[in-house]
Amino acid sequence: MKREDSIFSSPGFRYVAFLLLFSITILILTSSCTKKTEPAAPFRATPYTIQIPLHFPQELNIPADNPMTVEGIALGRFLFYDGRLSGRPGPDSLMSCATCHIQAHSFVCGIDHPDFTGGHPHGLTGIQTSHFMLPMINLVWTNHGYLWNGLVSADNPQPALRNIEDVVRLVIELPSEICGDTSRTKAMIGQIKGYPELFYKAFGSSTVTEKNIARAIAQFVRTLISADSKFDRYLLGKIQLSNSELNGYVLFMTEQGGDCFHCHGGDGNPLFTTNLFYNNGKDSVFTDPFDRFSITGSAADLGAYKAPTLRNLVFTAPYMHDGRFKTIDEVLDFYNAGLVWSPSISPLMHHIATGGVRLTPSQKADLKAFLLTFTDSTFITNPAFSRPSAMPDE
Amino acid sequence: MSHIFASGKTFILPILLLVFISCVKDHSLEITPYTQGSIIISYSHKVKGETLKFDTLRYSTSTGNRYQVSDLQYFTSRISLHSLKGKWHDIKMDDGIHYTDARDSYSCSWWVKDLLPPESFDSVAFIFGLDALQNTTGRFPDPPERDMFWPDILGGGYHSMKMNLKWQNDTMPQSMPFMFHLGTGQVYASGIVNPDSIIGYVPNSFRISLPIGLDLTAGGYHQVILEMNVDRWFDGQNAFEFARYPSGMMQNQEAMFRAIRNGKKVFTVKITN
Repeated sequence: MKREDSIFSSPGFRYVAFLLLFSITILILTSSCTKKTEPAAPFRATPYTIQIPLHFPQELNIPADNPMTVEGIALGRFLFYDGRLSGRPGPDSLMSCATCHIQAHSFVCGIDHPDFTGGHPHGLTGIQTSHFMLPMINLVWTNHGYLWNGLVSADNPQPALRNIEDVVRLVIELPSEICGDTSRTKAMIGQIKGYPELFYKAFGSSTVTEKNIARAIAQFVRTLISADSKFDRYLLGKIQLSNSELNGYVLFMTEQGGDCFHCHGGDGNPLFTTNLFYNNGKDSVFTDPFDRFSITGSAADLGAYKAPTLRNLVFTAPYMHDGRFKTIDEVLDFYNAGLVWSPSISPLMHHIATGGVRLTPSQKADLKAFLLTFTDSTFITNPAFSRPSAMPDE
Repeated sequence: MSHIFASGKTFILPILLLVFISCVKDHSLEITPYTQGSIIISYSHKVKGETLKFDTLRYSTSTGNRYQVSDLQYFTSRISLHSLKGKWHDIKMDDGIHYTDARDSYSCSWWVKDLLPPESFDSVAFIFGLDALQNTTGRFPDPPERDMFWPDILGGGYHSMKMNLKWQNDTMPQSMPFMFHLGTGQVYASGIVNPDSIIGYVPNSFRISLPIGLDLTAGGYHQVILEMNVDRWFDGQNAFEFARYPSGMMQNQEAMFRAIRNGKKVFTVKITN
């Protein structure tokens, strides 16, 4: 066949070739510059946005792999209150978060708890927890580590010890807490009517997993926000404080007064805690294997613990990591004249030279009056935080 | 039909050109006489020439006190560079405010992404603490800056610096805490230190200007190292005696004034390429 007679030189082939080339060009043009079409829409729960109170921090501690959703929070609330989280069906073997974390006490067990003497909880096995309880208030703003010693923290080299989700897993497994077997817990929850559907709605899978149990409870815990105390309303200009409360306010906020604000916040920090760790002068000898030193290894952290929030202080007795003080008055007496020097005492405890801040009885009364303005009764009665009226299978 | 292919060649070329120009990055914005992100301001902390070590009672003042530093946090603001052409170039990034925690290396390095002219600069200046106009309560809702707040009743805004210390002299059996804190001072009527008797406030932030030799070049990186010589807070023109202020500094303008006079000589600067 002569070259000019070849099929490649025929007009028909040229036309087809042109169309083909043109089509490829258009394809390149469109595919290279436009966003790729997504596949069919994936499962999506209803996003939940935390309404940040006007005077509160803006940065929330919500991990990217556990966004808040309406369905996730609802599931978490059921699980938080469901004793079958222990994975054991017997009525004496039920234990959930709410067994110890009681709303009326800002989610500590309370000093008058019938089962936990003096407010020191123990797990199903009877083993007591290492420390007394911290209130579960405004934890979505915690950024320096959870628990008294900050073990669970974003900068922990162990990925399984970084956020509330990890605290939930610890609580389910620790002998001093639920002492659960995660397989048994998963099986138990998975066979309860209603739960698989709730898991599907929250996470797109009806299979109950340890990860999704932790994610759901963590979401619920992040909604536990207190922002409606008397002092909040004062900061927003809605009400005035009494003379005694105002006197206490001055003492709280001044270096030459009680100097509480450096560790516990105040008008510039409405969480009433820095969430940092301090040796506040309780002891001179340190035997607790779970203080801040156990995390950092720094001698400066011997005997140091997280400064707890002072919100709802009136409901959260006993006080300190070891529950040594039963009343607010005992705490005030300690800071007033009971400080003990040690090499690792926090440099913020600058009143140590005189054993404390040395307030007069009248000043102590004013300071206590001010501390009570942190009481947020709406937090302990908020129905969104309470036990659901019926469990999924009821 | 052969003319279709022939004319097609002239048609395809513009299309391919279109493909090319529609997908390449637009570099036109980069054609500017200014250079972006070319300086890093670093903060270092020394005691008598050696790098600051925390929590060890190894330093001493000229008055014979030994001391250790546990925390060192402070603000610098209104940072600006002065060019040989006579212009001040204010750092705009983050409103020109930087928070430094000497324990946190991340906060000790500030990559300034402002556009700066490729010129020669002969000095750097800044306010130690927040400028009075910027020092407003509520500016920083989040930590760590939030935890520098200064009580409203004492003037509001934020601490310029928190340096938490322990100190000891030969007559003391053990070290004692000292909070070397700077911020808004108060003027008390008749000298009575009671918040009810406050009649005025003193900003207490102050300006520092340091000579440099910095030639910014397009595409080049330069590090401006602001070096705080911690010992100079105590050993400047006003020797600072811890024992003189047992109740701290926040409500003692005389103590803060004494510290500030020393503070003006606390920083030195280095440039590295």
